[in-house]
Amino acid sequence: MSTPLFNKVLVANRGEIACRVMRTLAEMGIASVAIHHRVEARAKHVRMADEAVEIAGDTPVAAHLDIGQIIAAAKATGADAIHPGYGFLSENAGFAKAVADAGLTFIGPDAETISLMGDKISARNFAEAHGVPVAPSVMPTGDLDAFIAQAEGIGFPLLIKAAAGGGGKGMSIVRSASQLREAARLASSEAQRYFGDGRVYAETYVERPRHIEVQVLGDGKGAAIHLFERECSVQRRFQKIIEEAPSANLPAKLAAEICESAVRLAAAANYKNAGTVEYILGADGRYFFLEMNTRLQVEHPVTEMITGLDLVRCQIEIAAGKGLPLTQAQVKANGHAIECRVCAENPDNDFMPETGVVKYLGVPEEPWLRFENALDQGQKVTADFDPMLAKLVVHGADRAEAVDRSIAALNGLALLGVKTNIDYLARVLDHEAFRDGDLHTGFVAEHKSDLGPVPLDETELVQLLAAAALGFRDFQDLALGTPEPYSAIGGWRN
Amino acid sequence: MRKIQSMISTSSADFRRYDVHNRRVVSEFRAKQEAARHQRPARDLDRLAKQGKMRPRERIEKLLDPGTPFLELSSLAGNMAYDGDSPSASSIVGIGIVSGREVVIRADDPTVKGGAWYPLTAKKIVRALDIAMENRLPVIHLCDSAGGFLQLQSEVFPDKYMAGRIFRNQSILSKMGVKQLSLVFGHCTAGGAYIPGLSDYSVIVRGTGAVFLGGPPLVKAATGEEVSVEELGGADMHTSVSGTADYPAASEDEAIHIGREIVAQWDRPKKWDCQQETPEDPAYDPEEIYGIVPDDIKKSFDMREIIARMVDGSRFHEYQPNYGTTLICGYANIWGYKVGILANNGVLFNDSSLKGGHFIELCNQNNTPLVFLQNITGYMIGREYERRGITKDGAKMIMAQSCSRVPKFTVMCNGSFGAGNYGMCGRAFDGRFLFTWPNHQIGVMGGDQAANTLAEVKLNQMKRAGLVDQSEVDRVWEDTRKAYQEQLSAYYSTSELWDDGIIDPVDTRNALGIAISASLNAPLGDPGYGVFRF
Amino acid sequence: MAIKLTLDGKVHGVTIARRHPHLVLVIDGVEHEVSSLPGLGDGRKSITVGGNEVAFSRAQLRDRQVVRIGGRTFEVGVVDPFSQGGAGGAGQDAVKAPMPGAVVSVQKQAGDKVTRGEAIVTIESMKLQTALPAPRDGVIAKILKGEGETFEKDEIIVTLEPETEKA
Repeated sequence: MSTPLFNKVLVANRGEIACRVMRTLAEMGIASVAIHHRVEARAKHVRMADEAVEIAGDTPVAAHLDIGQIIAAAKATGADAIHPGYGFLSENAGFAKAVADAGLTFIGPDAETISLMGDKISARNFAEAHGVPVAPSVMPTGDLDAFIAQAEGIGFPLLIKAAAGGGGKGMSIVRSASQLREAARLASSEAQRYFGDGRVYAETYVERPRHIEVQVLGDGKGAAIHLFERECSVQRRFQKIIEEAPSANLPAKLAAEICESAVRLAAAANYKNAGTVEYILGADGRYFFLEMNTRLQVEHPVTEMITGLDLVRCQIEIAAGKGLPLTQAQVKANGHAIECRVCAENPDNDFMPETGVVKYLGVPEEPWLRFENALDQGQKVTADFDPMLAKLVVHGADRAEAVDRSIAALNGLALLGVKTNIDYLARVLDHEAFRDGDLHTGFVAEHKSDLGPVPLDETELVQLLAAAALGFRDFQDLALGTPEPYSAIGGWRN
Repeated sequence: MRKIQSMISTSSADFRRYDVHNRRVVSEFRAKQEAARHQRPARDLDRLAKQGKMRPRERIEKLLDPGTPFLELSSLAGNMAYDGDSPSASSIVGIGIVSGREVVIRADDPTVKGGAWYPLTAKKIVRALDIAMENRLPVIHLCDSAGGFLQLQSEVFPDKYMAGRIFRNQSILSKMGVKQLSLVFGHCTAGGAYIPGLSDYSVIVRGTGAVFLGGPPLVKAATGEEVSVEELGGADMHTSVSGTADYPAASEDEAIHIGREIVAQWDRPKKWDCQQETPEDPAYDPEEIYGIVPDDIKKSFDMREIIARMVDGSRFHEYQPNYGTTLICGYANIWGYKVGILANNGVLFNDSSLKGGHFIELCNQNNTPLVFLQNITGYMIGREYERRGITKDGAKMIMAQSCSRVPKFTVMCNGSFGAGNYGMCGRAFDGRFLFTWPNHQIGVMGGDQAANTLAEVKLNQMKRAGLVDQSEVDRVWEDTRKAYQEQLSAYYSTSELWDDGIIDPVDTRNALGIAISASLNAPLGDPGYGVFRF
Repeated sequence: MAIKLTLDGKVHGVTIARRHPHLVLVIDGVEHEVSSLPGLGDGRKSITVGGNEVAFSRAQLRDRQVVRIGGRTFEVGVVDPFSQGGAGGAGQDAVKAPMPGAVVSVQKQAGDKVTRGEAIVTIESMKLQTALPAPRDGVIAKILKGEGETFEKDEIIVTLEPETEKA
């Protein structure tokens, strides 16, 4: 085996993505270092790593955001690179810079690129400048009245967004002038709360928009390729729950056009490493640049499944200065992949997060299925971290097969002890509109009435009650603890 | 083991006639049983309902594990006594499953004279506790009794086998390590107070349950003290102050739940290792018994046909099939348990007695429980048989049977007369259980012979007094026969607790299955016999 | 004897009719043959009800069973037979001092609604503080000892209004 590209990589993350990254590290012969807060000392990513370092923090999340401690941990363990995963510090330019300053390799883009793309407004301007379509919008001025006046100018509906934000925080749709002021104020205060930056901007809101994103790889020297697009239109609370690649019913010409624009943007930015360019696509075929995520996406496995590539390996190779691992012409897509995000939440109660304990985890095993997770039986599910527990990723020869397989896999998946959206995901996949590929980001709301829990029929109720009754020890004793011949004689009376 | 080849034709005229007859006999039995169980004055039921109490059978049903059997014993005890004022002798006794454990349940019946104990009640309770001792079965008492029936106190109170024996048996049971639980639903007054008092565990229902040696009126009369039931012997007083009872319960339902929970703590006793097979239904329909047993006690029938409708797969290994043929002996399985069966197929001769005695010895050697199916007019009499030693041969059989170490079970199938009753393990011979079919008759001799004998004595007296009118002679004969016949009946015998209850013939298999299962809790007795007269 | 299961706020009765040759459960009054039995413990299992075999997963979560069956997940609870009538020992109207001592603090007052187990007063005895809990759900009738007052063993400290109906 050739010399590894790095000796040791610290994974500045936790949960499934940390485990995912470590899996590739192990395959590449690279040692891994995990970081963890006190409360997750026995977590799977810690056990999976070759080494682990505890990071102090008032909260577990605070620990994972502590740049100084993380870099110190990397130094202390002799790591020569840091993989940030997604979330936490993955899009923090300061972190990327600090890593570089410490003489370590950041497996991701440069701090400058992160800064550029991290600010919605600068990213948008950059995109516009390089011929990527952007939605008509009003930039923040700091003067709310002026902002409102201009916003009214581009017409309704409008989308109000946090300048510094992402993930739907500080986002709202405004359909009339009368709602605008209050919406702007609320968005601003939410943005302030989440991002420490109250600036908001407004842009044309596309009705029934689809969320299309393009996976790109750049070598940092102006060369970039795309690994096709993904569709992430099915969302709740502005968060994706089902992603697929390729997109449903997207004309090949349009798909190619979108992918090319993404490559153009990445190349123009001298983008290094893996990134994702997100778009909204209207029913009329118009698409607008939304933002660029300068990291590995949660939903990257669907791209891996159709291309057969290991994106983490690509990231490591690029970070190690090996350049792009393949040419655009070498990128081939095969079949269809769907990812379902399994979350600890109650879909029947507005997707409110749930807590509990993983009492039992049963995962179907199929060659066409990946279950990305860091779950342990007995593990507590707390509100400390994101409610996403795992990702179920399924490949099929075509979309219909991928949908059927996903439903089968979800039905066969058991994660008991905390309420999850597993049942709900299967209901979404099985919905006629989903099967038809009639997707948009309002899918969940539009079909809400069809997506409620399916009532049990009589047979199912009986099966359930029988199965449950025999789970209670006392009842099982009662059912099975009768000595012979009494058991055989039954309820006889003389 | 070979299947018995039935010779019965279910389409024969006899079969159909007997079937009609026996079904009528059984439905009469069922009607009497139904009345004894459920027919009560509305006043008594209203009073019970007002107190928020369940009827005793409801309590039992709730106590038992669902879907398990309950073998009720002596359901018609007392049916011919006290003008019918004490149905089931005011007490319910049976064997069933509570929290997976085989137990004796014994319940007072507050729907009859406040649950007061009649003489036969005491006899029935003593017998229930004897069963518990003989078979090492835990006992659950469902207490709700006003105490001894005062009008008949002389027959309830003083003698060896009267009420005191209950408490003596309770103590001995405890000494033997056999557990007892009392659920106190109503009052336990005077002697009755000792039932929970002598139980290992007791639960008492708040508000309705009470335990005291003397109730408030008696206390007032004796000492002038005025005290409420609750204060004197209520649930909270006994469970928090006196320690007489262990668990207070807020309701009867809760008392039953607590009771079930207590039983669930008990160890499951090891039974002795009787040979066992997987149970099989009889190959012949047990209901065909109705068409086999004739409509007249004087008509004979082949007891093999009964065995064929009682044992697993109708299979029977007959011992000495050609010797002593009036006594059928052989091995079979009942609900899987290997048993040795002795069944009468006519009067007992010398050879049948010897065969019976020998077979009993074989079963004792082989640890095989014995089942006696009685239909016996007695041992053969006459010069020839006495010369052949019928008495000493009968005595051998009685000796072997009496001294058996294996458990014995007797079913009175049709008739039990004279010394045959003894040889075939009659009530006096400590069989673990004895059941009677409703058609059965029992007596020292048959109805007509006895009537003739008795009438002759009377008529001789009349003759001496100069009365010789033929119609008067007929009347005397008929009255005598009638009175005697009544005492011969299964109802009389079960009323007096000479058995453990009348059972429907088709229930025999289940009753024996439970009886055998219960018997295995007690270790086998010591082997050995007395002196056989050879 | 039956157990009462709860599912989405509805109560379902389950009891046993027969055990031979197959277990027959009576579920909401209707008999169903269960011919293959799932063992205890968490995990993937199957059960045959009425001749139809169905796979399911089950886990015990505290006092409930979580069952995933037919692609849906349900939580099934059981009604504790002792929770209804005020279990043995409870159901009483008075809170008595378990030992001699003094009242340290009073958390409730007469007329307050209390649930079983809720602290009413805190007492101190032998340098040990103990909260005296409500023996059952109910309304406080009287608190007979105030802060600083002493009492003997078994003295009544609190009384509850009598229960109006028996469960």
